[in-house]
Amino acid sequence: MQNAVPRSRWVRWLAFVVVALLGLAIRLPQLGVRPMHTDEAVNGYIVGQLLAGDTFAYDSRDRHGPALAAVALPLARLQGAKTFSDLTESELRITSVVAGTVTILIFGAAAEMFGFVPCLIAALLFAFGPLPVYYDRYFIHESLFCTATFGLIVSGWRAVKMRTLGSGVIAGACAAVMLAAKETAVLHFTALFVAALGFWFWSPRGTDPRIRQWIKSKAALAAGAAFVVLLLVLYTWFGRDWKAIPMLLHAAPHLLERAGGQGHEKPFWYFARLLTGGWSGGVVIALAGVGLLMSIGRSGGAAYRFLAIYAVTIAMIYSAIPYKTPWLALNLWLPATLFVGLAIGSFWNAAANRIPKMAAIPAFAVLAGLMTALLAHDTKQRVFLHPADETNPYAYAHTTEDILGLAPEITEMAQRDGIPKPRIAVIASDPWPLPWYLRHFSDVGFWQPGQAVGKADFYITSTDAAERYGDQLRDDRADFFGERPGVLILLWLPMPK
Amino acid sequence: MKRVFLSTSPIVAALLFATVALAQDKVPLKTQLPKPLFVGTPVPLNVPNLEPPLKGKRADFMVPAGTVNLAKGKKVTASDENPVTGTLDLVTDGDKAGDEGSWVELGPGKQWVQIDLAKEANIYALLVWHFHSQARVYRDVVAQVSNDPNFKSGVTTIFNNDFKNEIGAGAGHDQNYVETYQGKLIDAKGVKGRYVRLYSNGNTSNKLNDYIEVEVWGKPA
Repeated sequence: MQNAVPRSRWVRWLAFVVVALLGLAIRLPQLGVRPMHTDEAVNGYIVGQLLAGDTFAYDSRDRHGPALAAVALPLARLQGAKTFSDLTESELRITSVVAGTVTILIFGAAAEMFGFVPCLIAALLFAFGPLPVYYDRYFIHESLFCTATFGLIVSGWRAVKMRTLGSGVIAGACAAVMLAAKETAVLHFTALFVAALGFWFWSPRGTDPRIRQWIKSKAALAAGAAFVVLLLVLYTWFGRDWKAIPMLLHAAPHLLERAGGQGHEKPFWYFARLLTGGWSGGVVIALAGVGLLMSIGRSGGAAYRFLAIYAVTIAMIYSAIPYKTPWLALNLWLPATLFVGLAIGSFWNAAANRIPKMAAIPAFAVLAGLMTALLAHDTKQRVFLHPADETNPYAYAHTTEDILGLAPEITEMAQRDGIPKPRIAVIASDPWPLPWYLRHFSDVGFWQPGQAVGKADFYITSTDAAERYGDQLRDDRADFFGERPGVLILLWLPMPK
Repeated sequence: MKRVFLSTSPIVAALLFATVALAQDKVPLKTQLPKPLFVGTPVPLNVPNLEPPLKGKRADFMVPAGTVNLAKGKKVTASDENPVTGTLDLVTDGDKAGDEGSWVELGPGKQWVQIDLAKEANIYALLVWHFHSQARVYRDVVAQVSNDPNFKSGVTTIFNNDFKNEIGAGAGHDQNYVETYQGKLIDAKGVKGRYVRLYSNGNTSNKLNDYIEVEVWGKPA
């Protein structure tokens, strides 16, 4: 059944468009409510710089590639943002929402590769699963990266199979977007290369000639050209910063250093534990495991064998690298949804062949209802009820809600003391995400602990920096704010007059 | 001069005797501390208007001999009758561990808990543990003692760091503090009362109000 694609393309696309619209609908509510994670604040600041007319200056020690900003900038302008202080959380996060919705649509394009029913099930899982819904509302690179990865898999497969120029160009463009989003694209290219090798050598009919033929085709040339051109366009920020290219070529030492952990070290089984958590995680991953085993066997077909090798390789790579953050799991959730689709589709086929449909349909309806309830519970809890709570495994070193009170308190105290334009001095070795939360104030300066700081109306210090500024803070009262779980900052307010 | 000395010396001697007697009557407050659960966030030292962090164990706090924790097992009421987590009896159950299941969590915003000591007492100290598995500061902490269960009359405020008067007990002048496993010690200075009420207004991690344990150290009046 998994290879049964409805004859009418319209019917197929209608189904996936409906799922994508539902996925969009669940991603939009309360988009601006969750506090901005430090990474989101940094990305927001970059978009703010671009709105001001600056060039995206790639520096592998400081930031990922320009793809996210390249998509977010026109979307922010479309929504009316002209400066950094105009930007809102939802105006930025809409970029990831759009990327997630496009990913759901790509399942429609993947139906010829993986089968209609498995793709529809996978699209539903991606549309409503807690992990994709959560990170598709997060202004970081992962959603866009995931969209491009899936685009590369589907268009790359079509390019090899049909050798059309269009598919080749799309595949090259997707690969460029991946590398322009995150340098970790290299890991995915490696996994895809391993999968291609596996597909070539372990084909039931011996080495598959299609890959060798494709390498010599015009489609491959088109893919390569699209990759190079788009990569140059993005990294040089439309030809304005050519220093980015040598910087990209010399990024490896920084990336290797980052891969070592840099405070984000986690055990090998971190992603396995994350994906199996909650009410639904165990069921999803168990079904994905069944689908994976079917893929390695004969029942999945060539596309699933390719996907299985890719999924296992990328899961091993991510698990072996000490540096781990929960949003990386989105890259594992994507193939997992297709394996779930394959497993459920195969179970349905087996059931339909053995028991009467009158019994199979209600049985599957009950199981589907149960699965929906489990997913709905996790999505509600993690995405909407406790999005920034430290007990939420997706909310990683997340900015606490308390920080939302910082700017209003400064405004209130400034009004109390008749200060129309408060001068704010921030003294902290790592001030993020404060630039985002102080963006509406015009006079804000940032200093490293130990630097000479001028006179200000309000000081914000990290807890370890304050001691060095005793003289300046002598007449102020300290109010604590939570920045992240267990991390406090101090707002020094003038004593009431 | 001699006459003055002779006439005042008995008074001075009596005062000295009384001081020594009183001093001998005082003992260090001894309470069982829970296991520390986090290495404290670095809090600035020697900074004006900020409570310095404890370096090691707290210095002995002297209380009259015979002072006991009057709150142990006593009835607790609260502004939030349906806590988000836990039950109100956890406030006085003697368990100060910071692990999950040890605290009661009241709803967001301004909330209070109240302990009924069953009869009037001389209260010398409060020890309060809101939450100590991570560095947190609870906002607008106010501690009051009264014989009126409604806290309408005869209310003595023994601690108040609500400097913006959010709670409505007047603008406080006490300092903010970071929660630790040693709890917050509040000097009650022997104030008399039957009821102890503690206010708070969320914390630096969320808007909720947690209580692991409250000890009320005193002697029946």
